[in-house]
Amino acid sequence: MPARDYLGEFEHIIVLALLRLEDRAYGVTVRQEIEFRTNREVSIGAVYATLDRLETKGYVKSHRGDPTPERGGRSKRFFRVTAKGEAAVNRTQRALQSMTEGLDLGLIRSYS
Amino acid sequence: MTPQADFVQPPRLAVWLVKLFTPADAAESILGDLLEEFSRLASKSGVAVARSWYWRQTVKTIPQVAGAGFRAAPWSTTAAVIGGFLLLRFVPHLLETAIFAVLHRYRVFEHHFNAYVFFATDGIAIGHVIASLFVGCIVALAAKGREMVATIALGLILCLMAGVGYLAWVARHWPMDDAMAWMLWNCTDLFAIVVGGAIVRMRGSAATPRPSDA
Repeated sequence: MPARDYLGEFEHIIVLALLRLEDRAYGVTVRQEIEFRTNREVSIGAVYATLDRLETKGYVKSHRGDPTPERGGRSKRFFRVTAKGEAAVNRTQRALQSMTEGLDLGLIRSYS
Repeated sequence: MTPQADFVQPPRLAVWLVKLFTPADAAESILGDLLEEFSRLASKSGVAVARSWYWRQTVKTIPQVAGAGFRAAPWSTTAAVIGGFLLLRFVPHLLETAIFAVLHRYRVFEHHFNAYVFFATDGIAIGHVIASLFVGCIVALAAKGREMVATIALGLILCLMAGVGYLAWVARHWPMDDAMAWMLWNCTDLFAIVVGGAIVRMRGSAATPRPSDA
């Protein structure tokens, strides 16, 4: 099995955010979705650094939208998950499920 | 959106810093996203909260995009830094030789002693700063798109070397009068390298059309 088959923690979160947002996924919505669901402050730089890495791996694709006045005439960069990205997220999900199977996570929480 | 928020702009220095450290193609999306959220936050929670948010995002974003820039082209960036390091071994020395050649050719020592002292001391130090600025520009041009990462990396390496050299020199020659001046000129040289990178970066981003203009 290739060494880089699984997504890293933040990569996993980003791909899941893209899947949730579908065709509305760009920097602002991805960042807000992650903040809303994970309750952790995320920088736009971290989002783009991870998205660029995922694009290099072929897990996401991006295209530019039209420039808008509220963005100072700058365009949005929309992202979508590729088939390869979907396969990677499925693989990662399955690995996590397999690793947590049979564990009493409530018991772990009470110790932490 | 309130009328006040319509005219509110994010902190200029923060915008400039993001532009400085972000590759031109990524800067358009990042600055657009930041402005969009800033405007929304300014109208919802007030300008002060929005400005503070913008600064927090800037401080967190710069290392992320700089690191991503390096990871995207580690070998060419490293080569630019090593090239700059080697140039710095050569260019200031060449400049020093040229200054002394001119001083001896025109016998400045005999005719204008004060001018000779100036050129042989501060003149050489100023020459070093100009040489550092020149090398900073060359490194930035070589590290196209990663100008600030390359020049800051070179500056930090030299800073570390200067710090060690300073401690060793002070230990050997203590007490000494000009240690602080030596360190200050060294710091100015390092700063000049980074300024060279910033000049090339800003000229490059002014000349590059936005991706949305294409």
